[in-house]
Amino acid sequence: MDRWALIIATLLAAIGGVNGMLSLRHGHRSGATVYWMVATLVAQLVFLSVRGEARAACPLMGLGEILVFLAWSLTVFYLLVGTTYRLSLLGVFSTPVVVVLQLVALIPGVLESNPQRVAATDAWRETHAAMSVLGYGALALAAVAAVMFLVLNQQLKSHHLGSGLFKNLPPARELLVSLRRLLWLGWVMLSVGVVAGVRMPRTEGSEAHLVAAMGVWVAYAVLLGVLQLRGITGKRLSMWTVLLFVVSLSVFASV
Amino acid sequence: MELVCYGLNHRSAPVEVRERFAVATSKLGEHALSLREMEGIEEAVVLSTCNRTEFYLAGSSAAEAAEALRQQLGAGGQDHWYEMHRMEAAQHLCEVASGLDSMVLGETEIFGQLKTAYRHAHEAGATGGVLNRLFQRAFGVGKKVRTETSIQEGATSVAGTAVELAEKIFGRLDGCRVIVIGAGETSRQTAQALVSRGASTVFVTNRSHDRAVELAEELGGRAVRFEEWQSVLAGVDVVISSTAAPHHVVQPFHVEAVRRVRKFRPLFLIDIAVPRDIDPAVGGIEEVYLYDIDTLDQLARDARGRRERQIAECRELITRELEKLNLPGT
Repeated sequence: MDRWALIIATLLAAIGGVNGMLSLRHGHRSGATVYWMVATLVAQLVFLSVRGEARAACPLMGLGEILVFLAWSLTVFYLLVGTTYRLSLLGVFSTPVVVVLQLVALIPGVLESNPQRVAATDAWRETHAAMSVLGYGALALAAVAAVMFLVLNQQLKSHHLGSGLFKNLPPARELLVSLRRLLWLGWVMLSVGVVAGVRMPRTEGSEAHLVAAMGVWVAYAVLLGVLQLRGITGKRLSMWTVLLFVVSLSVFASV
Repeated sequence: MELVCYGLNHRSAPVEVRERFAVATSKLGEHALSLREMEGIEEAVVLSTCNRTEFYLAGSSAAEAAEALRQQLGAGGQDHWYEMHRMEAAQHLCEVASGLDSMVLGETEIFGQLKTAYRHAHEAGATGGVLNRLFQRAFGVGKKVRTETSIQEGATSVAGTAVELAEKIFGRLDGCRVIVIGAGETSRQTAQALVSRGASTVFVTNRSHDRAVELAEELGGRAVRFEEWQSVLAGVDVVISSTAAPHHVVQPFHVEAVRRVRKFRPLFLIDIAVPRDIDPAVGGIEEVYLYDIDTLDQLARDARGRRERQIAECRELITRELEKLNLPGT
């Protein structure tokens, strides 16, 4: 049941993405992307609720569940942030990330086929896992917005303005504003996650994980500090945002 | 049954002629009804806007009636009037409804004005089977053209293209600050277009300070002495440059000097001078978007080409729709 829900969620996101891209090729934005993403969210919720019930805890045990939770978090933030006018194209750029995360989770062996009930839950551990993954969802969406800015920036700089993609991309400044807000939101959530991580009981290997998580947290803090105090070009901010997100995925690999 | 359109518009007649034949909205129905009383006319709609006055007539001998109408109007300056028959008249009505015949291509106001004209004629009892079907189809076509094509998209002038680019970089231009270096005509037009879209502050600098003051007053901005323009650069979002200088006025070091103060915010540079005012190397600075006159002109030409193709597509769509209608009188 849970695996099927995940397959359906992946298919829905893929269809939404392809539909959005085809519309862009014809020079207009598809209003349907948001509905495909809502349907994706529903299927993701089915997956997470089935797993959560089996675990009797927040379904964040193992790489597979974390990846799906991250994809869900990205979908939620897109629906909260991206559906505002002119940022709806964020959905078209988000769907490939959602699809890739879920496809990795679907690789045999990544997702536990028989999730075991968690014997004893710990509030700090659950807060750490949930807030961190939610934070990464916001940071993933920031990375998506960053990619959109890089595409637009390249087109504006090289004067290649005839594509349907260019016509439908949001203005550069609006993308940068969204990017900045998502970075702050993600970082604040990540901070809560890190604080909870420090308070949770240590297990074997959790030390290395916590160090990596704190490294990511510090890197984002530095980026935000530079952005706030000194300023940074949109291109560099976007490149750092994408790079940090890709690097931060290594934290999951170290789970 | 015959269909005729008799009228004048912004292309065929100057305003002093158009205003003589304008019909008040409240009188449209009454006017249409009086036309119906003419021999050979069974149905009539009168459309009157600031850009056109048109009579749509349907009847057994509408052509003769149109001739009678011409004499009745005593139309001084016959050259200003056009007369279309059958399919040509139906096609014209659909083009009017679609905004293809408007002064501003694709504008939507005419659609409402046409609906009002039809409603008045209909309520006065001046329409019948032919014009009812034709106008309903014209409204359908007008909507279809606007939803299925993009005739309004793409600026076709240098100033319009610059404004579109500014909006692509900054979004809403409310609060945008602009400096105009060199008070030429194109820079005036571009600055004016930016102000009309919300740009809040305009600085004008020119070698002749008096000319800068003059243009600044016209734009509701502030004149800056030519030797002081660099101090303003840190606070602006858009630079429009069009001096007659034989060398580059804006050089990389000018922008480099204010990058930190600007916190690396995007800067849009519009160079409409020949020879160019802005060193092309400035475009290599990461947050700078530099467009010269040739690039802007090329973009405007591309948009004009696209628009011509769109108009041809719209006309084909209209022809297809009218063929489907198979209306008597066309």
